[in-house]
Amino acid sequence: MRSTVAIASTLLLGCSSELPAPLPQGHPDDATPRRGGVLQTATFGDIRSLDPANLGDGLAPQLVQLIYAGLVDYDRDGNIVPDLAERYEIDPSGTRYRFFLRHGVRFHDGEELTAEDVRRSFRRSLARKTPNAAKSFYFTIQGAEDYANGKADDIAGLKVEDTYIVSFLLKEPDATFLPVLSLQAVRPVCRSAGDAFSADFFPCGTGPFKLQSWRPGERVSLIRHDGYFRPGLPYLDGVEFTIGVSMLAQRLKFESGALDLFRDILQPDLLRYRKDPRWTPYGAYDPASQMAGEGMNVEMAPFDNVELRRAVSSAIDREQYRLVKPTMLHALTQPVPQGVRGHNPNLVCQKYDEAAALEHMRRAGYAYDPVTKTGGYPRAIPYYAYPAGVTEYTSQVLAQQLARIGIRLDLRLVSYAAWLAITHRRGQAAFSYQGWKSDYSDPSNFTETLFHSSAINDEDTNNPSFYANPKLDAMLDAAHKEMDGPKRAGMYDTIQQFICDEAPWAFTYSVSFYNVWQPYVRGYKPHPMWQNEVRETWLDRPGTGRGAQASGRMGHGKEALLSPARSLPRDP
Amino acid sequence: MKPAGLRARFLRQKGTLVGLALVLALMAFAAAGPWVSGHDPFASDFQRGIAGELPVGPSREFWLGTDRIYRDQLVRLAYGARLSLLIGLMATAIASVIGGAVGIVAGFFEGGRGLRIPWLSVAAFVASVALLPRSIPLSLGLFGAAVIGVLAAQITGKAPLGAFELNLDQSLMSFVDVGLSFPFMLLVMAVGASFEHTSVTTILVTLGLTGWLGTARIVRAKTLEVRNREFVLAARALGQSTPRILVMHVLPNVRGPLLAIATLSVAQMILAESVLSYVGAGVSPPTPTWGHMLFEGQEVFGAAPWLFLGPAGFILIAVFGFNLLGEGLRHALDRSDR
Repeated sequence: MRSTVAIASTLLLGCSSELPAPLPQGHPDDATPRRGGVLQTATFGDIRSLDPANLGDGLAPQLVQLIYAGLVDYDRDGNIVPDLAERYEIDPSGTRYRFFLRHGVRFHDGEELTAEDVRRSFRRSLARKTPNAAKSFYFTIQGAEDYANGKADDIAGLKVEDTYIVSFLLKEPDATFLPVLSLQAVRPVCRSAGDAFSADFFPCGTGPFKLQSWRPGERVSLIRHDGYFRPGLPYLDGVEFTIGVSMLAQRLKFESGALDLFRDILQPDLLRYRKDPRWTPYGAYDPASQMAGEGMNVEMAPFDNVELRRAVSSAIDREQYRLVKPTMLHALTQPVPQGVRGHNPNLVCQKYDEAAALEHMRRAGYAYDPVTKTGGYPRAIPYYAYPAGVTEYTSQVLAQQLARIGIRLDLRLVSYAAWLAITHRRGQAAFSYQGWKSDYSDPSNFTETLFHSSAINDEDTNNPSFYANPKLDAMLDAAHKEMDGPKRAGMYDTIQQFICDEAPWAFTYSVSFYNVWQPYVRGYKPHPMWQNEVRETWLDRPGTGRGAQASGRMGHGKEALLSPARSLPRDP
Repeated sequence: MKPAGLRARFLRQKGTLVGLALVLALMAFAAAGPWVSGHDPFASDFQRGIAGELPVGPSREFWLGTDRIYRDQLVRLAYGARLSLLIGLMATAIASVIGGAVGIVAGFFEGGRGLRIPWLSVAAFVASVALLPRSIPLSLGLFGAAVIGVLAAQITGKAPLGAFELNLDQSLMSFVDVGLSFPFMLLVMAVGASFEHTSVTTILVTLGLTGWLGTARIVRAKTLEVRNREFVLAARALGQSTPRILVMHVLPNVRGPLLAIATLSVAQMILAESVLSYVGAGVSPPTPTWGHMLFEGQEVFGAAPWLFLGPAGFILIAVFGFNLLGEGLRHALDRSDR
C-alpha cells in the first residue's frame, strides 16, 4: 500500500509541467564576489576513489579537480596555462620542458610544495603497482615506460633541478605533452601519500578545497583550503556533493533551493529549463567532449569495401540521430567533437546525401533501386550495440536509414560487457556502435588514438575498425610532433578529412550535458574541461544577509586571505 | 445435462463475462495489427511524429501519440499484443504439457516401485541443462535422449554404465518443490538473462521451463484422487496398459482443473514476458513489446505520459481479463465436479 502511494505521488509530481520562478539574487546589481556559504550539488552516481593516481569515471574527476592542482591546467577558455608552475620553458628541440614552481604553495596539511613533491607524485602515480589507467599517456617522458613496467628504479627523464624547478626530457617532440600534463593523474599529492600508492591515503593536495569528510555512497564534503595559492580564492566556504540522489529527487531539491547546481536532469525537465526565458540565463551546456559513430570493421566483409563504408556514412541523417535525444546529442560529421580542441566547424567532412549513398552502393557492386526495392546488399549485417540507452534508439534509426539504400541490419543488443568484448576483438563484429570520450583536449585523442595502426590489438583494441593505413599513420605521426599551433591545426584538418573519406566510422553525434544553476550562484559557467568547477563561484543568496554581509565584500590580495570569514552552512 | 449446467454456471458470473469480453477485445485488437492505424510500426516519422523536440501526443493522426523515436504508439501496441498473446498462450501450452505430464505421472506412480535411471541419462540431462543457453535444439535433443534412455531401461532392464533406483513421485515432487521455492519472477529473470541473444523462442523456452511447476503440483493432487476411482481399477482389471490408462482415463478427469490453471497462467505468462522485456531480457528491438515500451515511456513520463500509460493499460487489461476468465472457469468446473 505504501508503495502504491509512493508511486502515485511520484507520478503526480512527475506530471507537473510548470517550472517554479527562479529564486532571486541577494544583490543583483553588485557583481563583486562575496565570500561564504556552502554550495550544494548532487549526483545519482557514486565515487570509488579520490586519489588522482586511481581515478574512476563519473563524479571523481570533478572532485579531484577541486582538491588537487597541477603544474598546468585549462583556463576558462580552454587554453593550457601554468597553475602550480609560475611559468614553463620549452627548449627549441621540443624535447625539454622546465617548470618553475610558484613559491609558497601550501598543501592542505600546511607543507610547502617543492619540485621533489612533483617528482614523488609522478613516481607514485606511474609505479608498476599503481592502478592508474592513464600511465601510458606519460610514456613520452624518457624512461617512464621502463619505470612503469618495473624495469627501472626511476623515471630517467624527470629531473629535480632546484627546490622550485622540475624538468622533463621527452623521447621526441610531442605536442600532446602539455594536454596530458594537465590531466589529474599526476597532480602533486601530500607527503602523507608516501612514495607508493596505497588505498588508504586520505585525499590531500594543493587545490582550492580540502576534503572534510567522505561518507561512501552518501556525501562528500569539501571545505575551503585557506592556504590556496591563488589569493582570495575560492569564495565558497565549502562544497557538498550528495551521492546517489535520483534525478527526480534532484529536481525537487533544486526547486526547493536545497540544491544550487544541478545537471542530472530528466529530458522533459531539461526541455522546460532550456525553453523557459526565466531560466535560460542560468543554464548552459558543458562542452561536448564525447562522440559516437557507427564503427565498420575494415578487415571484415562487407566493410572491407570502402565504397560500402562511404555509402553508410552518406546514408546517415545525423539530424534524425540528434532527435533521438535532442537534449543531449549534437549532430557530428567529423571525428573531433565540438568541445575538444581541433574541432573545425567549417570542415565539411561526412554528410547526409541519400543520392550519393546510392551511388556508392552502385560502385560497391550492390546497386539498389529504392522504388522497386530491389538489389542492395544481399544479407542482413549483424550490428552490435547495448540496450537501455541512447544506442538502443539510434541503432533502430540506423536500421531504418540503411534500409533505404538496401542494407539490412540484424540488431544485436547485448550487455555492455558483451558489446565491449565482442566489438573490441579482432574479426568478431563487422558493424557496431562505437564511441569515445576525450582523455585530454587535443585532436590527436580522437584521431591517433582511434585510427592509428599502432592502436590495433587482437583483444581490447583501441581501434575497433582495425583501420591501418601507412599514409594516415605518417600524417598522424607528423602532426603529433608538430609544435607550431596553427600549422598543426591545419594538419589535423587534413587528417580528419582523410578519415572521413575513408570512413572506418560514420561519425554521428557528440554528447554534452546541460547544467542549471540557481540565479544566486554567481560567477559560474561550465568549464571547458571540468564539470562543476566552482573555484571562482560565489553565492549571493537572498535573505541570508547575515552570513554574506558579515563576511563583507571580498577584497583582493592578502588581506582577504588572512581573514577568512565563514558563514554557517545553510539550512537544508 | 452436465455440460449445459457447466455453461450456465460459467456464464452466470458477471466477472467471467467481463473477462471474456476483455480477452476477446484484446484478440481482436491484436488481429487487427497494422490496420488499427495504417502506420508502419517500425518506421519513425520525423516530420509529423514530432513536436517541440518531443514525441507528439494523442492526436487525429496518431491516436495514442508517437514513441521515443516517433513511431506510432497505437500500432506498436497492437503488434505488442500479438507478441504478448502469442507468448502467453504458447508458453502456457508448453508449461501445461510439461506440468500435466509430470503431475499425472507423479500422481499415478505415487507410492509405487522405483524407476531405474541409467547414469547415462543423468549425464545427458545435466548436459542438456548446461547447453540450454547456447543451443536450444541441442539441449532439447539431449533431453529427449535422456528420456528415451530412462524408458529403454524400464523396458529392457539393461543400462550400460549402470543405473540407480529412484522413487518417481518423490524425486519429481522434490524437484518441483525446489523450483517453487524460488520466486517465479526471479527464476524467470535468471533463466532469461542466461541467454546471450534473446528471441521469441528463448522467451518461450524460459517461460515454458519455469512455469510448469505449480501446474504439476495441482495435477498430481487431482490424479491421486482419480487413480483409485472404479473406472481406473476396471480398466486395469481389463488389462489395459499403463500409458493407455493415463491418457484415456486419468487425463480426461484432470482436464478441467488443467484448463482453469492454464487460463490463469496465461495472465502470469503475459506479465512475466512484460517483466523480461522491461528489464531488457525480452525480445530485441525493434520488435515492440509492452514491457519494453513501458520501460521506454517511464523516462519521459513527465512530458509524454501516454508512452507509459498505453502499455501499462494493456498489460493491466490482459492480466485482468485472463484472471477473470480463469477464475470463472475454475469456479464453474469446481462445482461441476462435485
